[in-house]
Amino acid sequence: MKFNLSQRKTFVGRKTKVWFFILGLLVCVPIFFSGKKVFHITSTDRYCMSCHTHPAADQSWKLSTHYNNKSGTIIHCVECHLPPEGHGYITAKAKHGFKDVYGYYFRDSAAIDWQKKKLLENARGFVYESSCLNCHQNLFPVTLSVNGGNAHLFYTTSKEPLNCINCHLNVGHYDRNTAAHTHDSTFGVTITSTEPPFPEPAKVTKFENFTEMIPGTRVSFDMVALPGGTFNMGSPDNETLRDADEGPVREVTITRFWIAKTEVTWNEYLAFFRATSSQGRTEGQVVTSRKTDAISGATPPWGAPDQGWGKGERPAITMSWHAANVYCQWLSKVTGKKYRLPTEAEWEYACRGGTETPYFFPGSPGKFSKAGFLKRIFGPDTTNIASRVVYNVNSPSKTEEPSFVKSNPFGLKNMSGNVAEFCSDYYSPDFYKADSLRINPKGPFKGQEYVIRGGSFKSDAKDVRSAARDFTKTKAWLVTDPQMPKSIWWYSDCIDVGFRVVCEADSSLEE
Amino acid sequence: MENINRRKFIGKTALAGIGLAGAGALISACKRKPEVKELGLPPILRGAPSGKKLRAGLIGAGARGTGAAINFISSGPDLEIVALADVFQDKIDACRERFASFNLPIPAENCFAGFDAYKKLMALPDVDVVILATPCQFRPEHFLEAVTTNKHVFMEKPVAVDPAGIRSIITSAKKAEAIGLNVVTGTQRRHQEDYIEIYKKVMDGAIGRITSAKAFWNQDHVWFREREPGWNDMEYMIRNWNNFCWLCGDHILDTHVHNIDVINWFLGKHPEKAIGYGGRARRITGDQYDFFSIDFDYGDGVSSHSMCRQIDSCANGTGELIMGTKGYTNCQNKIWDLGGKVIWEFEYPKDENGNSMNQTVIPPYVQEHMHLVYAIRTGNYVNEAEQTAISTLTGIMGRTAAYTGKAVLWDEIFKSDMDLGPKKIEFGPVNMEFPVPVPGTPVISSLTNPIKGQII
Repeated sequence: MKFNLSQRKTFVGRKTKVWFFILGLLVCVPIFFSGKKVFHITSTDRYCMSCHTHPAADQSWKLSTHYNNKSGTIIHCVECHLPPEGHGYITAKAKHGFKDVYGYYFRDSAAIDWQKKKLLENARGFVYESSCLNCHQNLFPVTLSVNGGNAHLFYTTSKEPLNCINCHLNVGHYDRNTAAHTHDSTFGVTITSTEPPFPEPAKVTKFENFTEMIPGTRVSFDMVALPGGTFNMGSPDNETLRDADEGPVREVTITRFWIAKTEVTWNEYLAFFRATSSQGRTEGQVVTSRKTDAISGATPPWGAPDQGWGKGERPAITMSWHAANVYCQWLSKVTGKKYRLPTEAEWEYACRGGTETPYFFPGSPGKFSKAGFLKRIFGPDTTNIASRVVYNVNSPSKTEEPSFVKSNPFGLKNMSGNVAEFCSDYYSPDFYKADSLRINPKGPFKGQEYVIRGGSFKSDAKDVRSAARDFTKTKAWLVTDPQMPKSIWWYSDCIDVGFRVVCEADSSLEE
Repeated sequence: MENINRRKFIGKTALAGIGLAGAGALISACKRKPEVKELGLPPILRGAPSGKKLRAGLIGAGARGTGAAINFISSGPDLEIVALADVFQDKIDACRERFASFNLPIPAENCFAGFDAYKKLMALPDVDVVILATPCQFRPEHFLEAVTTNKHVFMEKPVAVDPAGIRSIITSAKKAEAIGLNVVTGTQRRHQEDYIEIYKKVMDGAIGRITSAKAFWNQDHVWFREREPGWNDMEYMIRNWNNFCWLCGDHILDTHVHNIDVINWFLGKHPEKAIGYGGRARRITGDQYDFFSIDFDYGDGVSSHSMCRQIDSCANGTGELIMGTKGYTNCQNKIWDLGGKVIWEFEYPKDENGNSMNQTVIPPYVQEHMHLVYAIRTGNYVNEAEQTAISTLTGIMGRTAAYTGKAVLWDEIFKSDMDLGPKKIEFGPVNMEFPVPVPGTPVISSLTNPIKGQII
């Protein structure tokens, strides 16, 4: 019996093996022979474009230097969007393939924000550094310019991670809005208004709303008078999505001041730029002129600081904290008033507009946030917030003009969202604990980075709450600036920071 | 990563080059001493190999330039100087006369004077090699032009006077590497057989782990020229270039860079930080110091004391010393144990009387040109521009530390916008002041303040 059993076992085992072998052959042989073909077919431009029918793919690629160039070379989709073979090609192909199939069956291509995919932080997910370097093997061609040489030296010696697309973002898909990566010496020099310039600034005798006029220009902006008061600064422990640096909540008293109704617009900032910019001066030289009243402003920017979104009433962006601070000095000089950046406390006081809720309108951060699996698919509920805040749910990945949103209870626009705003305080996560005075607090005496407030068009609902705190990141925001030393006037790698001004109220003014 | 690939590629082509050249002697030399290649050491040759005739143009026809040109032609067969360029006609004439006296005439139509002379020379299609020997202020633009016009390069140290120039040199070096142009620099200790043998011993652990170093170049005062009537500001400064920082880089670069380079070489890195002193006690013309004392911090507790001085009747001498856990060496020819006993000594060749000649068979100034010609003719690629740029920048870091009195970090100096000298180089009055730096005042950056002053 024993013998029989084992014989039977062997027999069955052998039979099963044979069947498995035949089955295996039937499955594997076609895969083996077609696999290469399948790999090939699914990596052709035609195959990619069969789903990616939007203009962000095909048209912009054909206009780019990777298609439309002197040598007639065409760089195909997968040559950038997949790593080269041997650098994780199969894994990446499987990963993107899975994502694409999911997207094809479950998502509406027209509803996808392709513009947003072009932002650097998103593009990093599907443009492979190894692919760039696979073709661009010589980073120092003989024709390379001095600035190019400096930038590539920086790239090869940088200890921080740096991608080719940090600087060369639009080389695969042309973007007419983005200028070449050069000093734009003509930036902002054209004046469009034909009306006569204002001869003098606004005269203010009473503490009430007024419209400031920048003398010698046609630029004006509204200032809102905020009476002094006491408010609870920070967020309570039970506020959804809060961070620890927003507490403890403390009662802070603020003296009356004016605050600009909107973030400083390109019109306003360019008035300053034209009046003070210093072409030809090298970076890092803060010229202290013999004439002590002369203010020396920004050097020409690199590329297009407005990102091609347009200037005018859109908030000015990418200027450094230093530049914003010098702007305030200049504005004070030309208007004879005391303009400056708001303190963090003034900013939150103005943003809250008397409210004590997470936002200056009803609603919960959790509800407005895009975070979470279900909300990623079905989208968050944006009642109340969509009409008041430009953030990552309702924004097409760029700034909006002030007319896009409703005001807060103090009549101010875009306090939350659109662009993050500089404050005059240094950032410290512990300052709320340390502040014992609680009257017009000005932040810690010493620090490295400054407070920025309000979040931006890139922010989640969490970061556009009235109490949410953030800070400048000087090193990261200048990572691709090829100048040495780096610009003190423009951030090369931050496109969602701006500022608004406040004006101090003289005690002699009437109420 | 692509650099490694390219190096591999260059390595392969280099091997193929050797094969094609069929230089049997060289192959056997390589077989005998494989470690030389591993340590990145230059070959020690008794003469450059023969091959296609190489025609060289000399840019900067002063004393060192003429010397370098003679070193070049004496390093092997079929080497010629065919063109000259200098700012001054009298320098060209003197150099031409010198070559004529060797019966090696240089055609007049290939001699160019003026600030753009180098461009005219490099535009000559039959010039294969250029020798760059002007004051080092001009080296970056000359080197870039050489790479752009596909010339192999021999260039004198130092290679620039400021960080902007250093970055230009490194960028051009990488451009040259990409297209296979060979570059040898005048830091001749790296080509000196005795230094190379000591280096091999030290790498082999003869003195243990390196713990400290010193480097010194203390000598009598150097030449200077006082202003002659009829010389405009620019002509005076260039004729007296050895005494102006924007032209010379100060003597911590001009001469002491040799010692600094040896320390960087043996330590295998550049310092992270410099703190130091310097001053001007005896100098008569220009704006430079005549002594420096710098502490270069290489990290991990390793420092090198660098000193240089150009004052008569002082304790003078030049050299290096590297201290290890097991012993020390003067880097040139002797190794001592910690008890002060000589444990190894380089054997120099002996003269007919059996006395040591105290120097290598081939002078290092010729050896470096043999290396360049060898590299060109055998395809055994060489490019020393970056390492010399790094050593020059080390000197600039030390100089800045002394001039300002501040600690200067490598990262800071590497990215600095310091760009010395007038923006426009032309004969005539120079609308700048050249104050002697005083420690405790701001970093010497671009001196653009147009105050008219007397240039002494």
